[in-house]
Amino acid sequence: MDFEAVIGLEIHVELNCTTKMFCDCPNRYGDEPNINTCPVCLWFPGAMPRFSQQALEKASLVCLALGAELQPRSAFDQKVYYYPDLPKGFQLSQAHLPLSRGGGIYIVDENGQPKRARLHHVHMEEDVAKLVHEMEGRLPISLVDFNRAGTPLVEIVTEPDFRSPYEAMEFLKALRTQVRYTGCSECSMDNGTMRVDANISIRPRGTSQMNTKVEVKNMNSVRHVGDAIAYEITRQTAAVQAGETVILHTRLWDPDKKVTTPMRAKFEGPCVPDPSVPAIELSAEWIENMRSRLPEMPAARAERFVKQHGLTPEEARFLSSDLDVAGYFEALIREGIAPRTAMHWLTTQLVPALKERQLELGASPVTPARLAALLKMLSKDEINANAAREVLVHLFDSGETPEAIVTAKGFRQVSDTGALDALIEKVLAAQPTAVADVKKGQGKAMGFLVGQVMQASGGKANPKVIRELLAKKLAT
Amino acid sequence: MTGDILPDSVFIHRSPETAASKGGPLRGLQIAIQPNISAAGWPTEAGSNALANFKSLEDATVIRRLRQAGASLCGSTRMSEFGFGLQGSQAGGALQDQAADAELVLDMMGESRLAAGRTGVCGFKPSWGLVSRYGLIGLIPSMECCGILSASFTDVREILKVIAGPDELDFSLPGEKPLDFSPQNIDPKNTTIGTINEAQDGLPAGQEEAFRASLDDLNKAGFAVREMSFPDFPLFSPVHQIVGSVEASSAAGRYDSVRYGPRAAGGKNWNEMYLLSRAIAFGPLVKSYLFQGAFFQFERYEAFEDACRIRARLLAGMHALTSHVEFLVFPAVEAAPSTTPASLPQTYAQFASTLFANVTGQPALYLPPGRSAGHSGIQLTGPRLSDARLLSLGEQLLHLGRGGK
Repeated sequence: MDFEAVIGLEIHVELNCTTKMFCDCPNRYGDEPNINTCPVCLWFPGAMPRFSQQALEKASLVCLALGAELQPRSAFDQKVYYYPDLPKGFQLSQAHLPLSRGGGIYIVDENGQPKRARLHHVHMEEDVAKLVHEMEGRLPISLVDFNRAGTPLVEIVTEPDFRSPYEAMEFLKALRTQVRYTGCSECSMDNGTMRVDANISIRPRGTSQMNTKVEVKNMNSVRHVGDAIAYEITRQTAAVQAGETVILHTRLWDPDKKVTTPMRAKFEGPCVPDPSVPAIELSAEWIENMRSRLPEMPAARAERFVKQHGLTPEEARFLSSDLDVAGYFEALIREGIAPRTAMHWLTTQLVPALKERQLELGASPVTPARLAALLKMLSKDEINANAAREVLVHLFDSGETPEAIVTAKGFRQVSDTGALDALIEKVLAAQPTAVADVKKGQGKAMGFLVGQVMQASGGKANPKVIRELLAKKLAT
Repeated sequence: MTGDILPDSVFIHRSPETAASKGGPLRGLQIAIQPNISAAGWPTEAGSNALANFKSLEDATVIRRLRQAGASLCGSTRMSEFGFGLQGSQAGGALQDQAADAELVLDMMGESRLAAGRTGVCGFKPSWGLVSRYGLIGLIPSMECCGILSASFTDVREILKVIAGPDELDFSLPGEKPLDFSPQNIDPKNTTIGTINEAQDGLPAGQEEAFRASLDDLNKAGFAVREMSFPDFPLFSPVHQIVGSVEASSAAGRYDSVRYGPRAAGGKNWNEMYLLSRAIAFGPLVKSYLFQGAFFQFERYEAFEDACRIRARLLAGMHALTSHVEFLVFPAVEAAPSTTPASLPQTYAQFASTLFANVTGQPALYLPPGRSAGHSGIQLTGPRLSDARLLSLGEQLLHLGRGGK
C-alpha cells in the first residue's frame, strides 16, 4: 500500500526580552549558573508572578508576523508535572486560551508550487530550568541552573499540513525569516532559541484519516528535523506493513546514529487556570498599535526591491530573506551604489568573506559606508575589480578607509595614457606573433596582449584604457 | 532584626521592634501575625514541616505597609498547617493574652472569622483583591485573603486602610479604584439586611434560637430583616472543596525539598527523593487535601470544570441577592478551640457557613455577641468591595450591643 505522511510541528521560540517572563531577572544566556534568580523564579514561598509587558509585546509581534489573530482575551494555565527542571511543580503556559489563533505562512513545495502552511495557535509560556548532567566521577550528579527558569517563550503550533520532510524544513526556514524580521528572537536551533518537535503519522495516500501520531524531539538543526521526519516515516511505514500498530509516544532523535528511539513518557495532566496571573485582555487599539510596530515583512520587501531597484524576483527574494542582508543592501543603495553592483558585491564577496571569518553581518567591520566607498572607487575606475577584492580583505583587518588602503598599498589603477604607452610599446615589441594575429583579426590575441600589459603594470593598469590604446596603435 | 524568640504556650513573642518608635497612623499598635506571613528574617514555617527552619527572605507587602505606618510586630501565633482550617491553630491567642492589639490571620475558608468567634473579638475578611497577597504563604490563591482580628473596630479599619490597595508586586489585584474607608453612617431606616434560609439548615440545637435573638436585635435597632432563599447555597462547600483542593495541589507543588524544606534520606533517585521528602513534609489533613486536588485534576477534570462553572453561578446568585438587600447576615458557628477536627469532611463541616465568602470574594465580618445572655455572634457580608460600609455597619451594631445609643 502507498502511504503518505501527515506532519505537524510545534516550535518553541525564545523571545529576546530583557527580563524573564514573570520577574525582573535578566534574560541572559551564558551567564554563570544560578546568578539570574530571585524568589519569584526560584518559586520561594510567598513569591508571586508579575507578567512582563515586554514579553506580551514581543509575543504579539511574533503572532502578527505569522498572520495570526491575536485574541481579545487569553490567560495562563498551570501545566502540572514534576521534574527537577520545574521548581514549582507546574509550568505557566496558555493551554485553554492562547494568545493567538490561526495564521499561516507561504512555502514552496518540492514541485515549486506555493502552499500555505496553517498555524493552529501561538501561546506564551515560561521556560524551565536547565539540567546539567555530569557523568564523570564515581557518582554521576545532575546540576540545576535556574538562569533559564522563567525566561519567555512562545510556542507555535501548526496544523498537520506538511506531507514531506522537505515541506517541514521549508516551513521552518520561512518561519525563522519571519520571526527574525520582528527582531524578537534570534531563532537559532544551534543555541536553542528555536526548538522544534515534530508530530508524525502516516495514512494510505489519498485518504483523509488522522492516525496515531508519534512525537519526535531533540533535533538541533533544520536538517535534523528533515532527517528525523524522514526516518520516522520509513519506520512507521515498515511497522504498519509488518502489521504492527503505531502507539502514541515520544521519541528522541539521535543525531549520531541517525535514528529515533522511544523516550519515557512524562506524566502530564490537564491544565488548570492559574489564579495569580491575571487574564490578558487586548483592545483593538492595542492590537493595531502592535501591528504598526511590525516592520515591512520579507514578501513585501522583495516585491519592493523588484519595483524600486529592478532586481529579478529571485534576487529580490534572496536578498530580503535575511533581515540583515536586506538592510545592508538598502544601506549600500542609500550610499549611492547601483542596485546590481550592491547585490553582487554583497552576496558574492562580503557574505562569503564574513562566513569565512565566522562573523555576523550585523557585526561586520566592513560597514556599508566603507564598502560603498570602495565600490565608488571601482565605479570611477580608480581601481579595478581585482584590486577591489584585495582591498576588501584589507578592510577586514584594518580600520583605514578604502582610499587610504588603496593609496598605501598602491592599488590605484593606472589610466594615465602616457605611463601606459611605454608599457604597451615594450609588450608590442616582445610579442610580434600576437601582434600579427591581431592584425589578422584574431580577437583572442587581443586579449592576450591586454593581459601582457596588465602583467607588466603589476595589475594596476586600467584594462579598458589598455584595450583602447592597443586598438588605436594596432589599427594603424 | 534582633530579639530572642521565646516559645510560649500561645504564641512566639518577639521583643518589640525599633520600628515601633516611628510615627504613622498605626503608631504604637502591636500586631501579631502567623508564620505564613513573610517577615524578613522571621521563622516562616507556615505550620508545616515542608517549611521547617525556613526564614523569610523579604517582607510581605502587608508587613512592609504595617511597619511603614508605625505598627510593630510583636510575635507570631501558632497555626494550622498552611493555615488550612484551625487544627492546631492558636489564632486569637495573642489577643486573649493581651499581648497584641490585633492579629493577622489568613482566611481560606473562614479561619479568621472562626478564630474571632472563639476569642470573642471582631474578625474581618476583606474582599478578595483588596489586599496584596505578596508574601503570604497559602494554599488557595483564588480564595485566600489576609484577615484581621481585633477587639477594636477602629484598629480593624485603620489596619485595613494601611494594608489595602494596589501593589506592584501582586498583579492579581484587580486594579479597582481605591476605597474610601472613612466611617459611614448606616441609616437603619433605609437598610435591609437579608438572611438566607438554606444557610441555617443543620444549625445545631440552641444556635438557631440564638440566631433568632440576634435577628430580633437587628429589628430592634430599626433594620428591616428579610428572609430569602438561595437554593444553591449548599453548593458552596463542594465547590470550595473541589476548586480549593485543585489549587492547593498545584500551590504545594513547589515543596520538593530541593531549595528548602526537609530532605528525606534513602531516595535512590530524584523521583524517590521527592516522594519520600513530600511524605514527611505534609501532615495528614493537608496530605488528604492535596490528594483530593490531584484526584480532581487528573482523574475527574470534568468535575473541576463543573465546579468552576458553578462557582460563577454562585457569584451571580449572591450578587443578585445583594441587589435586593444591602447586607446579608449569617449565623456564626461558635467553634470550640479544638484540636480535634482531623478529617476533611469535619473541617469542611466546621466552615460550612463561612466559606461562601471565600468562594465569591465578598468581604465578611464576624461580630461578637452583645452583652445580653443567650445571643450568639453573627456574620455579616455585603457585595464585593463594600468593605467600608460593612465595617461601619458592624461598628454601629457593636456599639448598640454594648449599650450605646
